[in-house]
Amino acid sequence: MGLFDVVFHGSDEMYALAETAVKETLEKIGEDAPVAFGSTAYYLACIKAYTGLEVTNMAQLRDALTPIRAMMTRNRRTADIFHSGIATVMAAEVIEACKYAVNPLPYGENENPNDNKYHGHMTDAEVRELGVPLVTRDIPGFVVLIDEAPTDEQAVALIKGYQSRGIFVFLLGGIIDQAMRKGVKMGFPVRVVPVGPDIIGVSHIISLVVRAAFIFGNIQPNDYVNMNRYTMDRIFAFVNAFSPVSDMTVACGAGAIAEGFPVITNEVKDMDWRVPKSLVINTDVDTWIDCSLEARGIKLKVTNIDVPVAVSSAFEGEIIRKGDMQLEADGSRKDCLELVRTKDVREIEDHKITLVGKDIDEFGVGEKICMATIVEVGGAKMQPDFEPVMERKIHSFVNCLEGIMHTGQRDLIRIRVSKAAFEAGFRMKHFGELLYAKIKNEYEAVVDKCQVTIYTEPEKVHELRIEANKIYDARDDRVSKLSDESVDVFYTCILCQSFSPSHVCIVTPERLGLCGAVSWMDAKATNQLDPNGPCQIVPKERVVDEEIGIWEDVNEAVQTYSHGALEQVSLYSIMQDPMTSCGCFECICGIEPFSNGVVIVNREHTGVTPVGMTFSELASMTGGGVQTPGFMGHGRHFIPSKKFMKAEGGLQRIVWMPKALKESVAEKLNANAKELYGIENFTDMIADETIVEGDPEALVAFLTEKGHPALGLEPMM
Amino acid sequence: MGFTAKAQVYKAAIQETVLGAGEKALTLGGARTQPLCAFDEAWKNAPAVGVEVSDIPFETAGLPALAAWYEGCGSFGDRVKKAAEMEGAKFICLHFEGADPGGENKSVEEIVALAKEAAAATDLPLVIAGCKNVEKDQALFSAVSDALPDRNPLFLSAREEDYKTIGAACAMANGHKVGAESAVDINLAKQLNVLMTQLGVPAAGIVMNLGSAAAGYGFEYVASTMDRVKAAALEQNDTMLQMPVITPVALETWSVKESIMSEADMPEWGSQEERAIEMEIVTASACLTSGSDAVILRHPESVKTIAAMIAALA
Amino acid sequence: MALKGLDIFKLSPKTNCKDCGCPTCMAFSMKVARGAMTLDKCPHMSPESLAKLSSATEPPMKTISIGEHKLGGETVMLRHEKTLVNRNLYGAFLCANMPDEEIDKRIAESMAVDYERIGERMIVEVLYVNAPAEQSPERCAEVAKKAAETGRDLVIEAADEERAKAALASAGAAAKVLAGANAANWEVFNALATAKKLVLGVKAANLSEAHDIIEKLEAAGNKNLIVDVTGGSIKEAFANAMQLRRAALKDGDRSFGYPSIVNTARLARGDRHMQAALASLFTLRYGSIVVLDSMSYAEALPLYGLRQNIFTDPQKPMKVEPGVYPLNGADENSPCCVTVDFALTYFVVSGELERSGVPINMFITDAGGYSVLTSWAAGKFSAGSIEKFFKDFDIDSKYKNKTLILPGKVAVLKGELEARLPGWNIVVGTTEAIQLVRFLRDFKS
Repeated sequence: MGLFDVVFHGSDEMYALAETAVKETLEKIGEDAPVAFGSTAYYLACIKAYTGLEVTNMAQLRDALTPIRAMMTRNRRTADIFHSGIATVMAAEVIEACKYAVNPLPYGENENPNDNKYHGHMTDAEVRELGVPLVTRDIPGFVVLIDEAPTDEQAVALIKGYQSRGIFVFLLGGIIDQAMRKGVKMGFPVRVVPVGPDIIGVSHIISLVVRAAFIFGNIQPNDYVNMNRYTMDRIFAFVNAFSPVSDMTVACGAGAIAEGFPVITNEVKDMDWRVPKSLVINTDVDTWIDCSLEARGIKLKVTNIDVPVAVSSAFEGEIIRKGDMQLEADGSRKDCLELVRTKDVREIEDHKITLVGKDIDEFGVGEKICMATIVEVGGAKMQPDFEPVMERKIHSFVNCLEGIMHTGQRDLIRIRVSKAAFEAGFRMKHFGELLYAKIKNEYEAVVDKCQVTIYTEPEKVHELRIEANKIYDARDDRVSKLSDESVDVFYTCILCQSFSPSHVCIVTPERLGLCGAVSWMDAKATNQLDPNGPCQIVPKERVVDEEIGIWEDVNEAVQTYSHGALEQVSLYSIMQDPMTSCGCFECICGIEPFSNGVVIVNREHTGVTPVGMTFSELASMTGGGVQTPGFMGHGRHFIPSKKFMKAEGGLQRIVWMPKALKESVAEKLNANAKELYGIENFTDMIADETIVEGDPEALVAFLTEKGHPALGLEPMM
Repeated sequence: MGFTAKAQVYKAAIQETVLGAGEKALTLGGARTQPLCAFDEAWKNAPAVGVEVSDIPFETAGLPALAAWYEGCGSFGDRVKKAAEMEGAKFICLHFEGADPGGENKSVEEIVALAKEAAAATDLPLVIAGCKNVEKDQALFSAVSDALPDRNPLFLSAREEDYKTIGAACAMANGHKVGAESAVDINLAKQLNVLMTQLGVPAAGIVMNLGSAAAGYGFEYVASTMDRVKAAALEQNDTMLQMPVITPVALETWSVKESIMSEADMPEWGSQEERAIEMEIVTASACLTSGSDAVILRHPESVKTIAAMIAALA
Repeated sequence: MALKGLDIFKLSPKTNCKDCGCPTCMAFSMKVARGAMTLDKCPHMSPESLAKLSSATEPPMKTISIGEHKLGGETVMLRHEKTLVNRNLYGAFLCANMPDEEIDKRIAESMAVDYERIGERMIVEVLYVNAPAEQSPERCAEVAKKAAETGRDLVIEAADEERAKAALASAGAAAKVLAGANAANWEVFNALATAKKLVLGVKAANLSEAHDIIEKLEAAGNKNLIVDVTGGSIKEAFANAMQLRRAALKDGDRSFGYPSIVNTARLARGDRHMQAALASLFTLRYGSIVVLDSMSYAEALPLYGLRQNIFTDPQKPMKVEPGVYPLNGADENSPCCVTVDFALTYFVVSGELERSGVPINMFITDAGGYSVLTSWAAGKFSAGSIEKFFKDFDIDSKYKNKTLILPGKVAVLKGELEARLPGWNIVVGTTEAIQLVRFLRDFKS
């Protein structure tokens, strides 16, 4: 037999049982006898959900058999399996309804079903009780375990394994006796519910599912498509069925798959129909938990960080003095590094922490050590572009540890572990525990698995450092090759709006946020990790003028995110609708009319510029989210960009910068000036405070002597 | 050549949200004008004044008029009934301070019983305010939500930390209304609304609590946040900021120095009760001017005065 | 729309002569654009340039001086759009119709309000004296004199020329505004006000009539005006105030670019609570002189606090003076606590400390006016800054209790403080002010 036949056979079997049950019950109590599960407003919920019928007595129950039978189609297409599966569950509900019609407490004497061996029907209150945490994902999902596990120990291991991960557990059939033999505590309050002695009890679980959809999703009765879409998208359930699996169980399993719940089984007989992530054959029962969670796409939150010291942002600025230091990893003296790498999910063992080399207690007090921290992450949505973003966060993660100090990044880090932390039991593996927990939680959207390896063996760290430097270089290379033309979208950044309500940064590869802290790559990652956050996608499809940097899409974004305060911006102009400035810009450039150029001054420089104003004077008239033609705040890295005031002639307009600023951008600025205008050592032509301060005439004299190109350009206004 | 005023009516409107059920049901929102500008276009629904009643009887030393109002009220239900009699009261805010685990730590069952008692005492719409303890509020809101299935109450408030539970238990499971509370920041307010609707709470089930402050205590943040939210809602047609705004004024003003210093301690300041009333009135008036669609007040004089001011502006 | 700096620069002499005091013409132009300097500071502007610029640089709303106070000059409707520049004034209402006891009572009550809050003196700035037709000019003069004796600025509303003259004469230099100019008397009142260099208050039956009168006054050369928007009802007053400001700032109607007077005493008709509600409304929405029957502490405390909040620059934090603030009768033997000079922090924390009833010395350090975490992150609230505070105020020798409570959010400073302040017991307090009452009561016991 193939799977089709097994499903059809199983569903016929269940239907026959239902027919018999109805016939016998009718004989016993008559067609007017009431039918109800009690404490529910949804009648026989499965039947209501998939047929729209509201069954209240035996006659109606008998009549409901007709549409159930009609749903058991036999055309050997996937849809037939699904419809028959759902109909099988409804047939099971008919059988259960008959039991309750004859005896309102069919599973024991006790009014509280948790005191009986089998729980049976669940009330609407119980649906709500479970439904709320399912909606909020405080309970990440639930599992239905069916029939007897190979051994009692395996049964208990699975139940406890799910329980410890916060997964709600329903049990059907033989596994209940296994759990009882092993003394497992059961009942709704402990989130392990023994539902019924056989597969027929599955109707109570599906009843709970469809009622949750009614209550929380406002799904209407008899809406097959939307019901199954809701259960698939919102109810994170799955099935574990042990071999031998009866045909009726397979048929019900088809119903579960129709609702989006994968079935994991060790049955191999007649399982010729496989759907990845829906029907998973796995004979190694001990690996079912991970396998099931992955099939249903459930990611678990890490709630406890297993470290012996406190973790809090209050410790971020903590300084550890030499005398209080147990040991130190200092990248300026020894080989040290931190690296985040993407890896195939299958090659990562989640939460594996490895130490290669000596631990903290094996080093001498005050020793300077070599240390490499390699974090490997994987996930369906993980992209290598996120690596540097996560890597930079290692600094603030580690700094939150009490008694640990961290500065820098890449191979220029410095970490100090205090004596107090060491005495509290802090060891190398705890770096791993912390990073694992933080990365899993913070980057939940993209990281499915994470493992951390810490190396303290000098030779190995040295090798790793050489390798890591190649990676850092490759990354820098990729970033420097990115251009505004080479990407499809820009991003907004409105992090500063709490200070400057109408300011919006448009972040492009060549024009980073004006604070200098948000690159296009950062904005992209921020958007993916927090789709409702401060960085939103701005398409750049509708070009108005690429020279000046005007896009309709950009204008719309600026209008929306400034809440109407701004109409339009030109990304590459400081004269025509320049981008606004919040207040946290690294640099300001301003027009210097006598030289046809602009001066640029950075926040750190306190002297007066040739325009006659200092940084703070310029800032006071440029900030606050208003457009001030001729003046603009920007990030340091925007200066040497080919897009820097491109509309007005570009880099050759720069006539003055503080010396320190000039030096920090010289390399790239000179390279681009050479490429664009054929000028060698352009920075030599740019004046600085050692040459001229508040005097435009002296500036012009200097520029004339050097033959600065700005003097020959058209006036800017 | 004279002057002809131009009515400033926007195409977009503040969303309408119904609180309570039956004849006394109250609709908030609906305006297409700047706050209180009924001269631009007549109101669909006037801003509403509600009365705060706490499960812990108010401290009335130095407040003879407030004491007299509630005189003879033995139970919580009595006080709710009496509060509902205030001139201008359109809804009642049940403030369950006593649930605070750091205070009286009343059990969820006790709170549910009090909520039922209050519901029996008045048919005005109910607003349920918690004790500001995230865990406790989640538990008590869920339980009160189940206990008042037909009253369509508003729960104050769901925050970033607990919006999922409160959204699911109160708004989704029972169809009640939820106040989305953010701390005077337009972007946080919007983000919370987006998250709530993504969870499955209908937008019409959300009322915003944008944060509050007593006059003089950082009220500029409250005013500017409301100004910006209203501008975004009306000028930009931002549907995720069009929810009506409720401001629990009394929860702020009755704990500031001006309201609690006794006359004996500050003789030059004069009557403590007058100070407390004026602090409540000035703050409430400022909230309404900035865009609140509903304010929660404590003193019968404040309730009467603010209701009269709203009526005079209609 | 306000002119951009570059537009002004284009018309400047571009000589960088520095006669204006700025190093360059560009710097001067930028300052003029921002309103920090006026065009007449440049002696070299060509007449053509001046003509072009003066109409364009004329602000949409004029700034009017009432004694030491400035009114109007706003460029935005709401504070978040930029900032509101001139706070409104509060006034008390006196009328010659009132019996002397009532007038004395109102003056006494209003004069009693005099206190400082975050570096600002809080008083009733203005007395509004009404000289109605049914009272003799002598009576009007008498009341004006009484008001003038307080030393506060006076607005004098008169029914006619005779009473105006009498009241103004007896008020002397205290008179700052002559109100009551209407369609019938505007010419006479204009002459009176201009002669005495007073602001002229226009009072018309409606905004349209007011507009006509203002046009005539402007044509006669008077732009030193203020508009009474009170009208006949609360709704009308609010509509008038809103429409006047909208016309000025959004529609560029220069004839409405003047500050306003709202008389809540006339609107509330003796209901003091209603009057407070209206004063709040008009503080936020465009009342420039808000008049009440009189001002007691009950109204003053919330209204002045509200005004101080609303008229702060959104980009500059409000600061309180660093120093020692003893609370609940604290002395040298009481414990001490330390926090920052951000005004909101000060108010919230001191309020909770006072509520606790526990005597305690509150140390306010200079942290640049930022909140605890912000100033800590910026390095302005640190063990070093607290140590400096101890030195500047000679704390160690003055206070004997030697217990210092630290805000819970900067618990991390504890160790370093212990090192820097030997002999002091550093205690980590709560992270939120709201928890302070319980903390202090537990701490005490």
